[in-house]
Amino acid sequence: MSVMMERSSAWVERYLVPPLGALASSVYLQAVRDAFIIFTLPLILAGSLFLIVANPPIPALATLIAPYQQDILVPFQLSFGLMALFLSFGVAYSLAQYRRTEAVQPGVLAMVLFLIASLPVGDLTKLTFGDVLPYLGGQGLLVGILIGILTTEVVRRFRGSRFTIRLPKSVPPNVTRAFEALVPAILLITLVWGLEWFVSSHTFLTDGKVQQLTLPILLMRVFQPLVFVQDSYPAALLEIILMMLLWSVGIHGMNVVTAIALPFWLSTLTANATAHGHGIVTEPFFHIFAHLGGSGATWPLVIYMLRSRSAQLRTVGKVALGPAIFNINEPVTFGVPMALNPVMMIPFIMVPVTIVTINYFVFSIGLVHVPVVMQPFTVPVGISGFVATGGDFRGSLLQFFDLAVSALIYYPFFKAWERVLVTREEVALQPVESRVPAPAGVR
Amino acid sequence: MIRVLIVCSWGMSTSLLVDSMLAAAVAFGYELTVEALSAGEYAARVDECDVVLIAPQIRHLRKSIEKLAVSVGKPVALIDPFHYATMNGQAVLEQVLYLLSGAKEGEKEL
Repeated sequence: MSVMMERSSAWVERYLVPPLGALASSVYLQAVRDAFIIFTLPLILAGSLFLIVANPPIPALATLIAPYQQDILVPFQLSFGLMALFLSFGVAYSLAQYRRTEAVQPGVLAMVLFLIASLPVGDLTKLTFGDVLPYLGGQGLLVGILIGILTTEVVRRFRGSRFTIRLPKSVPPNVTRAFEALVPAILLITLVWGLEWFVSSHTFLTDGKVQQLTLPILLMRVFQPLVFVQDSYPAALLEIILMMLLWSVGIHGMNVVTAIALPFWLSTLTANATAHGHGIVTEPFFHIFAHLGGSGATWPLVIYMLRSRSAQLRTVGKVALGPAIFNINEPVTFGVPMALNPVMMIPFIMVPVTIVTINYFVFSIGLVHVPVVMQPFTVPVGISGFVATGGDFRGSLLQFFDLAVSALIYYPFFKAWERVLVTREEVALQPVESRVPAPAGVR
Repeated sequence: MIRVLIVCSWGMSTSLLVDSMLAAAVAFGYELTVEALSAGEYAARVDECDVVLIAPQIRHLRKSIEKLAVSVGKPVALIDPFHYATMNGQAVLEQVLYLLSGAKEGEKEL
């Protein structure tokens, strides 16, 4: 048993860790993820609050609110609804931090560039805000990310290069900085505006109306099939497996997959929230409905651990209980451990895969309302299922059902691992004489 | 005053370890500040600390984090996963002190 375990551990370390690690260390993915967490998430969460108020789950309240619904939605549309604009700032800013260069200037420039890219070139006074709004939010995320990356990469190459305006040393650094940013700013603005001018000289037909094309509309049309494909069971399966493979080697899997899949999750969620869409594979589908008690749905394991015969597991269980309530499970992942542990890696992947399968089925046949609201992943199980579905109590029931499934699958593996640990602990407790003699001075 | 930076992912779980480290520091009479940052924020602010620690869930970034820390002369190490899991602030504080003593000896040699 132990020889086999060591061999499979070595195999995992050798063949699984390097490629997964390489994927996770991409600077661009990290920058997108940081931008999302630091700049966009708070706005999405705050905005969602107004979405909930505008769409109360109680019918009587809904009719009462109906005349004011659009007014209540204004804060939602100008926070959640503009997330791509803020994401472009965030991506440029976070990437600049990774590149160790001044971050605010590229951030602000990225927002300007994003706006230029998103509004059709022409008489802006004739433009209706409602026409461009969708492309400043859920549908503009890809453009926001690309613009953010482009801005920082261009700006940083101009810093200290000979193609920038040089000023004498006696000029204050702030003035120098402003002039340094001028050349790349003019260059990038001209480039994006020129490109947008070309793109928006073309028109397309939507709902029988002729509309100018813009970069986000063009990109959405190109990627539309991908958004469609992403909102499917095979895609959900692929994403959860990748997440758990990463966690199995001790890498933050949710972060990596979020950075890749986020634009798709958010455009599906936006469609659910604003256009009564029925998309299933969204951020809450994973954070709220799969990772119950933390990535890998480890809530039941914490309960098992509290009453374990192994001292190590009992210790970890005590520490893990509090965080588990808020869906944080690093104590479990590194304490049991789940990561790099050939015994526990199996259910660690199998449990979320089973749960995702059940949930996809439940959502697709309409047993539970699809997720419409995003909330912090730290909201406890039970409450979060109710809120995520826009007030469907069956959302909470689904979470508890999933927990029962998790408890069943984890049990035999937990017992097997417990036996291994108990044996180890018994060996460690045997009288010192029966073991290899310890060097002097060591207890 | 010892300033510690912990490079981690979301800063959610690390904040628990930070609390535990601060409690241990008070108990042993050390003056300590601990901040949990993402790898990007760390790159921008590495100069503002005395010791850099890496949380186990981002150990795949270890090489690039270590390279930067070494280039600005800061001692750096990975937090033991089990200490991280059990939020053992005392053990991590000991690691910080050990790293600092190593750095000081190194300076003397130079």
